[in-house]
Amino acid sequence: MIRSITAPDPKQAPASGCFPGIDYDQNPEVWAKAAGRAVYGTDLKMPGMLYGKILRSPCPHARIKKIDTAAAEAMPGVRAVLTGEGLGCKPFGIVVDDELPLAVDRVRYIGDEVACVAAVDLQTAERAVQSIRVEYEELPAVFSPAEALEENAPQLHRDFPGNVAWQRNISRGDSEAAFREADHVVENTFTVPAVHPTYLEPISCVAESDRCDGLVLHTALQSPDSVRAIVAKVLELPLSRVRVIGPVMGGGFGGRVYGNLKLYILSSLLAMKTGWPVKMQLTREEEFTVGRPMIAAELKMKMALRSDGTILAREAEIITDNGAYSAQAPWVSNTISERNDSVYRIPAVKTGVRLVYTNKVPTGQYRAYGNQAANFATESLIDMAAKKLGIDPLDLRLKNCIREGDVSVHGLQINRCALDECLKAAAKKIGWDRKKAGRGYGLSAAIHANGSLIFNKKFRGAAAQARLELDGRVTVFTGEQDYGQGAHAAFARIAAKALGLNPDLITVQSRDTMHSPYSLGALAMRQTTIGGKAVQLAAENLKEKIVQLAVSLSGEPATMENGVVRGSSGMVFDLAAIAYDYHSQTSGLSLLGEGKYVPEKSDYDDSGYGNISVTYSFAAHAAEVEIDRDTGALTVHRIVAAHDSGRIVNQVSARGQVYGGITQGLGMSCYEGYLFETGRVANASLADYKIPTALDIPEIEEIFIENEDPAGPYGAKGLGEIVMVPVLGAIANAVADAAGEWVTDLPITAEKIYQAMAGWECQ
Amino acid sequence: MSYLYPSSLEEALGILRDGSGRARVIAGATDIFLQRLPHSLVDLTALPALSGIKEESGLITIGAAVTHSQAAASPVILAGAQALAEGCARVGSPQIRNAGTLGGNIVNAAPAADAAVALAALGARARIVDIKGLTREEAVEDLYRTHNRSLVDSSSEILVELIIKSCGINEGSAFTRFAARNALALPLVNAAAAVKVENGLVKEARLVVAPVKPAPTRLQRAEEMLIGMPVNRETRLAVEKAAASEVEVRSSLLRCSARYRLHLVGVLVGRALETAAQRAQQRKRGNDS
Amino acid sequence: MKQQIIMFQLNGEPLEIYADPAESLLAILREKLGLYGTKAGCGKGECGACTVLVDDQAQNSCLIPAGKVQGRRVETIENLSRGDVVHPIQEAFVEKGAVQCGFCSPGMIMSAYALLKSSPQPAPEDVKTAISGNLCRCSGYKQIEEAVLCAGDKMKNRES
Repeated sequence: MIRSITAPDPKQAPASGCFPGIDYDQNPEVWAKAAGRAVYGTDLKMPGMLYGKILRSPCPHARIKKIDTAAAEAMPGVRAVLTGEGLGCKPFGIVVDDELPLAVDRVRYIGDEVACVAAVDLQTAERAVQSIRVEYEELPAVFSPAEALEENAPQLHRDFPGNVAWQRNISRGDSEAAFREADHVVENTFTVPAVHPTYLEPISCVAESDRCDGLVLHTALQSPDSVRAIVAKVLELPLSRVRVIGPVMGGGFGGRVYGNLKLYILSSLLAMKTGWPVKMQLTREEEFTVGRPMIAAELKMKMALRSDGTILAREAEIITDNGAYSAQAPWVSNTISERNDSVYRIPAVKTGVRLVYTNKVPTGQYRAYGNQAANFATESLIDMAAKKLGIDPLDLRLKNCIREGDVSVHGLQINRCALDECLKAAAKKIGWDRKKAGRGYGLSAAIHANGSLIFNKKFRGAAAQARLELDGRVTVFTGEQDYGQGAHAAFARIAAKALGLNPDLITVQSRDTMHSPYSLGALAMRQTTIGGKAVQLAAENLKEKIVQLAVSLSGEPATMENGVVRGSSGMVFDLAAIAYDYHSQTSGLSLLGEGKYVPEKSDYDDSGYGNISVTYSFAAHAAEVEIDRDTGALTVHRIVAAHDSGRIVNQVSARGQVYGGITQGLGMSCYEGYLFETGRVANASLADYKIPTALDIPEIEEIFIENEDPAGPYGAKGLGEIVMVPVLGAIANAVADAAGEWVTDLPITAEKIYQAMAGWECQ
Repeated sequence: MSYLYPSSLEEALGILRDGSGRARVIAGATDIFLQRLPHSLVDLTALPALSGIKEESGLITIGAAVTHSQAAASPVILAGAQALAEGCARVGSPQIRNAGTLGGNIVNAAPAADAAVALAALGARARIVDIKGLTREEAVEDLYRTHNRSLVDSSSEILVELIIKSCGINEGSAFTRFAARNALALPLVNAAAAVKVENGLVKEARLVVAPVKPAPTRLQRAEEMLIGMPVNRETRLAVEKAAASEVEVRSSLLRCSARYRLHLVGVLVGRALETAAQRAQQRKRGNDS
Repeated sequence: MKQQIIMFQLNGEPLEIYADPAESLLAILREKLGLYGTKAGCGKGECGACTVLVDDQAQNSCLIPAGKVQGRRVETIENLSRGDVVHPIQEAFVEKGAVQCGFCSPGMIMSAYALLKSSPQPAPEDVKTAISGNLCRCSGYKQIEEAVLCAGDKMKNRES
């Protein structure tokens, strides 16, 4: 084991009040990462491994007339060539079944998968792919939802007339009456471009087939069980014979919940055809052109208020740009359409959302699932209202914000909530009452679910196992994934607390679907709250079993405290001895604690009304910015982030989540966004798709309001996604405060700020 | 043929001569994988003739293989060619600055090259030798054929060194750039100025901006207008106007609109001028700071 | 390009390889020498994940033709730890929470290492500049900066 050569300084890493052990991620894997020894997907190599490469469509929309693979097949070193014809796969998808592994007669975006090859090395695979000749007949294409919704627009999918992939209308309360009776109405249109999670390691996969329906995928995923189910279904393999093993993951941020399904399916098909392991990896350019960015959205929104600042209703018309296929975009559109309504006590809501097909890169999701896009729009609108009503934006928020005991307009039950305290704390720390001249200030508030019924109405909990090993240590099996956010270190602490042990004695295991309990995975901010609670229950169950065993061994009452098992006579039982005794008694079984967290039954009705999560996290961010009036250049000086994520399990990891999430929020606010030129991604590189560098980061100050929530383990709940939600609204509002003008189109670039200040017509 | 390491300029020229167009010289090589590889690569980075920074009788000579990092940290350049130090310090990233050379920055002929813009403002001249043994000297801004194509032919010529007149009494220079983020970004606009100010009035001025043409572009009208004027707010605004009136810029989806870029040209030239003039006035009595 | 012999010093040891001099140093390190600690994030010098030291200076190994390291000293992340003993920079990265997904960590640590070699007690601004060519998507850089400053202190304390 790699370890520190000096003992950690306890002053530098004080333990969180409630949890045992040191306060940074001490998972052995973290040391391996720092030493350059961790094995990532892109590092994988196997004996006999072939390299796969995909031929992609150069046309945004075309009919495939003919594919000639003769040259590729004849090329030395080429082991397999596949085209869509003859694969016989049925359409698949995550929400909507609208994709095929390889195009059969039509391509619908630049990058659409047309053919693939496996060869002995990457260069041969690339040459072989280039040698495939495809005849296309170009078809008229649509590049924006507006074009796609026109009456005579080309239709992308036969089963989706009008190019609408998914839509929803929500109506709660009487919003028409509210708007009639309102003293003030504010309205505006906000646009958000497609954004890429930009995990630093490109997606890769090695597929192995055993020729007996068995398939192993070596790829790092946030939700391996979900991907496994889809791959098994598409390839018509028995589910139990498909196994996903995760190497170390170089970042996910939602982009690796489902990762790149085409890559997994095509490498599997090539492995099945050749009998050898096949590795496929996206280039950085492919990450941008065929990866799954979060959908672009246009939000037309209005809000009705009374003169005293009471919000009466909100209406919205939202159009989201799906790209050529659907992936998770329907769910993301759903979150955009409603989650922000539950930040405030809004009595009436009317929303229409339409997800529209275009001939562009298919979209997926990103950390916070669109909640941040809606936050930008709603929170800008709140400040527009504050300005119109002459009410301080902080007061307007405090007047309306949701509180403990409320049921929100969409039926969310707000059992524990310190949003008002978050708002006050963020405002106080940024200096709301003593603003500096020449600076702009903005506030924003947010709610985020801790797990969501939307993924699986029947399945909302988690399970875990805690096994007492023969040496007295404990192994925790969970389906929840760790990719550096500290989930496993948190689980070790949670189990350690339940058992009274040092977290060093606990190993957390999750990387293999064959051995881990099924899980929905690292998404919807469910891991700490739901997965962590299951770990707590499993560890408690193990503790009970240990005590029972001690009782039966000694014939006297026993207890387990601070990790020590003691009989009433004072006899102390060694954990290893207990484990070994059980092992001998049962001829080889291990003492296994099981935990299942099955949250209280809850449901949503056909209109989507209901409590969709076990609990909710809350946050308020405040931003301080400065604008160079000559150029519009924006400097974000400070962000204060106040969070109610219940009890914090690990202060160092929690801070890391806040800083990283805010930096991604800053990126989406000011830097990032897909640019298209007739369907082609124009900024498909890390030079042109600009994420923030170390020189672009404001001072970030975090405040944790540790409002314990019984829904999660020892009062803890989720943090990882909500961190990037309110920062968008806070920056937008601070920019408006400094510039005196609003920028309603993300990203908020210097040029847009300058245009707004100079009164130029938008270009 | 292959990857070659000549130990002298003569040897390097000999390799090029023998390669008859199929060998080309490289230095920092930061862009080599973006281009088609030639038959042979002739690595110039170890040549003594192309390394080192020295100052002699008011002239600074910079070897073409000097890296951006070396130039940015050189006391000679910081004192005598401040705009160049500033330009070099802002290129790409530390890794790029450690690899990329000043000669490469020019011969690569990228339109927004930071070092080249500063060099042009400083009136730098490039000394070039060719396989016939002929030596010529050209102004840096005259070395551009078209976008990303230099008049220096890497298969038959070697840019050996750059020569700048060191900043004297009453003289000052400055560089400024505007980019979408603070590192790893090409500028939307960069600008540099070098001026001589006597008794509060401009005596000489060189103003350069990019990227508006394939080469770093001198703003001659604005320069002329400045002569005999004090550098104050009014002059600066007038220069901003003049600058913006004598360049043509294009809209770019990746960078910005033409209108905004034109606006930035004016602002950045004005800022570079102001800083350069301040520095010139601080050097009145031969004060080196 | 035709393969040729390239001699250089790698992680303190002399090395002679037979390789295509126009292949990138990154590819040589990973594919030929099995040193997978140096990561490939973009292949175009735009992310810094492949940062190594060449003659003590941080460079993107994806942009270096292998021929270029002839006669030079190359240092990779693998040189910073020995068995279970890690470098103070690595120790500080773990303790400060500077390692999340870890994919940028080797390159980031090499940039920090280059900085601390030339400037053992850097100012916070120097740290920001030194790591400005290394993209990190997880951390927001703050704990990385804390770690680099802390590493400087650790190295100083260890010397004294």
